[in-house]
Amino acid sequence: MKDIVISGRRIARELWICAGCVLAALGVNVYAIIRFHTEWKELITTLHITLAVAAVFYAVLALLRGCVFGVMRAFRRKAA
Amino acid sequence: MGLAFNGNMDPELSSLSSLGPETRAQRREFLKRLAMVAGSSALLAELPWWSPLRAAPVSDSPSDRVRLGVIGIGSRGSFLLANLLRTPGVEVAALCDDYPPHLEAALAKVKGAKGFSDHRQMLDMPGLDGVLIAVPLFLHARMCLDAFAAGKHVFCEKSLAYSIEECQAIADAHRGSSKVFQIGHQRMFSPVFLRALELIRDGQIGQITQIRAYWHRNGNWRNPVPATGPDPSPFPSLERRLNWRLYLDYSRGLMTELASHHMQVANWFLGARPVSCAGYGSINYWKDGREVYDNVNLVYRYNNGTQVIYDSLISNRFYGMEVQVMGPKGTIEGETGKIFAENPPPAPGIVQLINEIEHGFFDTVPIGGPSWVPELKKDTKGSYLVREHTADDGTAISMAAFANAIRAGKPIPGMMEQACRAGVSVLMGHNAMEQQQEISWPEGFRE
Ligand SMILES: NC(=O)c1ccc[n+]([C@@H]2O[C@H](COP(=O)([O-])OP(=O)(O)OC[C@H]3O[C@@H](n4cnc5c(N)ncnc54)[C@H](O)[C@@H]3O)[C@@H](O)[C@H]2O)c1
Repeated sequence: MKDIVISGRRIARELWICAGCVLAALGVNVYAIIRFHTEWKELITTLHITLAVAAVFYAVLALLRGCVFGVMRAFRRKAA
Repeated sequence: MGLAFNGNMDPELSSLSSLGPETRAQRREFLKRLAMVAGSSALLAELPWWSPLRAAPVSDSPSDRVRLGVIGIGSRGSFLLANLLRTPGVEVAALCDDYPPHLEAALAKVKGAKGFSDHRQMLDMPGLDGVLIAVPLFLHARMCLDAFAAGKHVFCEKSLAYSIEECQAIADAHRGSSKVFQIGHQRMFSPVFLRALELIRDGQIGQITQIRAYWHRNGNWRNPVPATGPDPSPFPSLERRLNWRLYLDYSRGLMTELASHHMQVANWFLGARPVSCAGYGSINYWKDGREVYDNVNLVYRYNNGTQVIYDSLISNRFYGMEVQVMGPKGTIEGETGKIFAENPPPAPGIVQLINEIEHGFFDTVPIGGPSWVPELKKDTKGSYLVREHTADDGTAISMAAFANAIRAGKPIPGMMEQACRAGVSVLMGHNAMEQQQEISWPEGFRE
């Protein structure tokens, strides 16, 4: 079986994307708290929901990146 | 979104319901915990009938044993019997039924029990401490009076009796004896209803302003009748013996057989008896020779201005059965075991946002909603009164209470009052429908 090598740079990039997704989800929570006049403690008490939203963001991003990668590869093959 | 009720949720009380006491050993363990709860509940003043449960659970030694007999081993009697057989410190010593197939089936389940077809012979049996009566309604009074006269402790199935005069006769006979009397209203021993009362007294729904109860089924309410069978006497036919609840000589139909449960809860929670009642009933669907109404609709008036609204029918089961206790701050549904706040705390902002996005995607666009939409039933999910429901609806606990009370030799306080209030209420309802006029609580009735 072929080993798959994931470079340190790649791991770091994914971690940064993850962190970005968590930040974005936190931003959504802040927006929701302001919009619906609920309590700031929800930033902590609904952390599980925030993380779930972050996971959804990450999955959507992964899908988009997959699509972009696929399209670019197809173009490159055509050009070659 | 479930509501978090921050009333002083009694963790002991709510954990009681999570035990399904199946074997004697499990049931003994369960009763041990029950004794702790019964001893500590702040509600005991309103639940005097829980006092026998404060006793420590007993061993199976002969000195602790109470010897009981069951009269009437049909559907309910068999259920009581199964519960008795799992109650620590109880010996089922005698069984009585004048319908041979039922007596034989019951005797096959209980090793060593003596069988009788006549309850008077059973009452003469030496060493029998008490009896459980689960016969058709019209026989309740006769059997209770015979049992008290024979010096036995009595558990009588609901509803108390066939007529108001008979209810009075049972109450009088009990007052004149030092024996234990218990009625088969199992909700009095249900942890769910206990918790409901606890929340009500804690002010969680505010003042009770209305109770609405209903019991809806869709079926003919008949037992199958074999083409041939044993001599049905003293009933004129097997049909009447097996379907006694459909005939007015033996039963008061939906009122005594179903409504009595919810009227007991209503009277208990309101701490009162109805002043009067009015209503209508008819046979509008099951026109098959039955004599009791197949739908009943009643309003009971209490002297603080609260009304209890009751209806029952057996031609539609969409709404099932429920007793709804309503106040300005919330509603309790006893059968579902839930409490609903009138103004539930809002969901967290992020949940509201997600819901909004979801609705934006999946809901159809309203062109212009009707103006009464805000008045429609709210779709709140409420929160459960106790953590887990078990198969026991209070019957198992009530068997233990009966046995403990006999062992202690002390009548169960408050029991006859509950039995009379429920029993008389449903008979008032029956009379109101029959006479098509408002019927008052019988003057001079002594509970
Ligand atoms: N607490 C509850 O939830 C509950 C539920 C069902 C029934 N019940 C009550 O239990 C009682 C019995 O109802 P059921 O559904 O078991 O009816 P059922 O017809 O199934 O059983 C009644 C039994 O009594 C026997 N019987 C009749 N006359 C007798 C006599 N003279 N001596 C001895 N036995 C006699 C019958 O043969 C039958 O076996 C009723 O009062 C009913 O209201 C209570």
